[in-house]
Amino acid sequence: MIRGRDGGRRMEGSAGTLERWAAILGGTAVGFAGARRGSWALAALGGGLFLAGAAGVPLSSPLRQAALPALRREPTTTQANVTIAVPADKLFRHWRNVRHLAALFPHLDAVEILSDTESRWKAHGPGGVPVVWNSRLDKVRENELITWHTLEGADLPHRGTVLFRPAPGGRGTEVSLTLAYHPPGGAGGNAVSRLFGTAPEQQAREALRRLKRIMEVGELPTIDGQPSGRAERGRVTSKLREVMG
Amino acid sequence: MRALCWNGVNDLRVERVPDPTILGPQDAIIKVNLSSVCGSDLHLIGGYVPTMRAGDIIGHEFLGEVVEKGPEVMRLNRGDRVITVSIIGCGKCWHCQHEEFSLCDNSNPQPAFEEMAYGHCTAGIVGYSHAFGGYAGSHAEYIRVPFADTNCFRVPEGVTDEQAVFVSDAVPTGYMAADMGNIKPGDVVAVWGCGGVGQMAMKSAFLMGAERVIGIDRFPDRLRAAQMKAGAETLDYSRVDIYDALLAMTGGRGPDVCIDAVGMEADSGASGIEDLYDRGKQALRLENDRPAVLRQMIQCCRKGGTLSIVGVYGGLIDKFPMGAAMNKALTFRMGQQHGQRYVKRLFEHIEKGDLDPAYLLTHKWALDDAPQGYRMFKEKADDCMRVVFAP
Repeated sequence: MIRGRDGGRRMEGSAGTLERWAAILGGTAVGFAGARRGSWALAALGGGLFLAGAAGVPLSSPLRQAALPALRREPTTTQANVTIAVPADKLFRHWRNVRHLAALFPHLDAVEILSDTESRWKAHGPGGVPVVWNSRLDKVRENELITWHTLEGADLPHRGTVLFRPAPGGRGTEVSLTLAYHPPGGAGGNAVSRLFGTAPEQQAREALRRLKRIMEVGELPTIDGQPSGRAERGRVTSKLREVMG
Repeated sequence: MRALCWNGVNDLRVERVPDPTILGPQDAIIKVNLSSVCGSDLHLIGGYVPTMRAGDIIGHEFLGEVVEKGPEVMRLNRGDRVITVSIIGCGKCWHCQHEEFSLCDNSNPQPAFEEMAYGHCTAGIVGYSHAFGGYAGSHAEYIRVPFADTNCFRVPEGVTDEQAVFVSDAVPTGYMAADMGNIKPGDVVAVWGCGGVGQMAMKSAFLMGAERVIGIDRFPDRLRAAQMKAGAETLDYSRVDIYDALLAMTGGRGPDVCIDAVGMEADSGASGIEDLYDRGKQALRLENDRPAVLRQMIQCCRKGGTLSIVGVYGGLIDKFPMGAAMNKALTFRMGQQHGQRYVKRLFEHIEKGDLDPAYLLTHKWALDDAPQGYRMFKEKADDCMRVVFAP
């Protein structure tokens, strides 16, 4: 139902290409290790932890140019798709209410409405690093489309589109979320941007899944807080065990 | 409370764990009265399903009493005697609305593994590894059931606990196997595997109009039960060549419908080299599943016949005889049970006396003895069809 896809838009001369690919591959490896050990926390968090470490390891530009020319065609656009058994107008209204968005994007802490088209967003990165950006709506077509872009100085520069269209066969609405994200201007040292750069596909997919579950069943199914033989050893220990696999 | 925890391959222990609590508004807490083993648990216990975590509570086929419910549970009341379908549906998504509950979009809280491995995520399953949601299982004093209105069913007065407990899983799985066979009057149905699900598939095949039903296994007690309780003819694959026997019994045509109630850990019986090949690859994790039954069904099934697969597979198989399947124009139907679709009908059959699953229960033991119970079940010792724990 929910599919992620990387587009192939070329970003000329972007800094951090190799680092990002290293991070993606490393994150994937950690994720697989987590999955193999049955440790979902490791699988889910591995990529993020890896990145925090990888952030301070800049690689020289010549090496990048010489060794990995193909990788410069890095994906900078990502799209997730889901079909939700709810009419488009209801989904559109839900999305337009910014109070609802924190449930879809767990990193989001606050959204402040500045005007009809501008808003200020506060989120947190790994280790609680604050991430702030201002966003402006570009196009809003009732029950069909919302597009936006971030303004100068954003910690997470990006463009976004969410599209609602009726699904065939009375199956509800097909929702697409597309994010195009820009590497940070100038230096390659911004850990927060790098985090955003690695997992947008997953973030988009998870956001649409949460939207679907909230709109279809009114709750996010969970197993957090259920009993297991692990819980006996104490919650903190249990979390550690998860991370350690 | 006490619960049976999986702590590693073939390492089961009864441990003290916290009681479950309501986590979502559509949850119910059930006090477990009976909780059965199931053949599919053996795949988890043996480590063939890769997403188990030490401490997971297993068990998914149970009967109990509602003791607590979330504010949005409307159809159940405290004190109701209920069974829960093992495979959780949300009741609201397109698949649930079309009675394909095991394909539910929303009930799996951990969809990433299945999306990676299968392309899409399917329903969460009670006590059945983290790939299928990681829900705590029923070999415990209490269990939380999500979306209780969709998944819990009150047991009618005329149905005993020992009959009803198997309506969680074994009965609807067997019934759906027969249903997917699209059985017509006069059909001959062959069922590979005479455990709980196979027995129910045989009985259901007769209810749907099969003329003859043939059960295949090698354990004498199970073959006897297939004859005496399900009314089937039987074949012992350790003694006869199944292909020759089935063709002899069907005038050379082969069975119209072949049902796989075995799944990924099949023995291949007579074919020693093929069995060694698959066991070797499975042990090295080069092939997840041993497909001996599938290959045999494709070979034996009549031209244009139907294969109905409810035995569980987890991953990849190889040496799949696609040429035979294609040229013989076989139809393949398969899936985890959509039990919620069948429960009402099954209780009616039980009340009318058409179907009595209680005979599957050969041993009723205390929960504290569960590790030994699983050992007995796995070794099929003491004529054990199903051991059911009473916490």
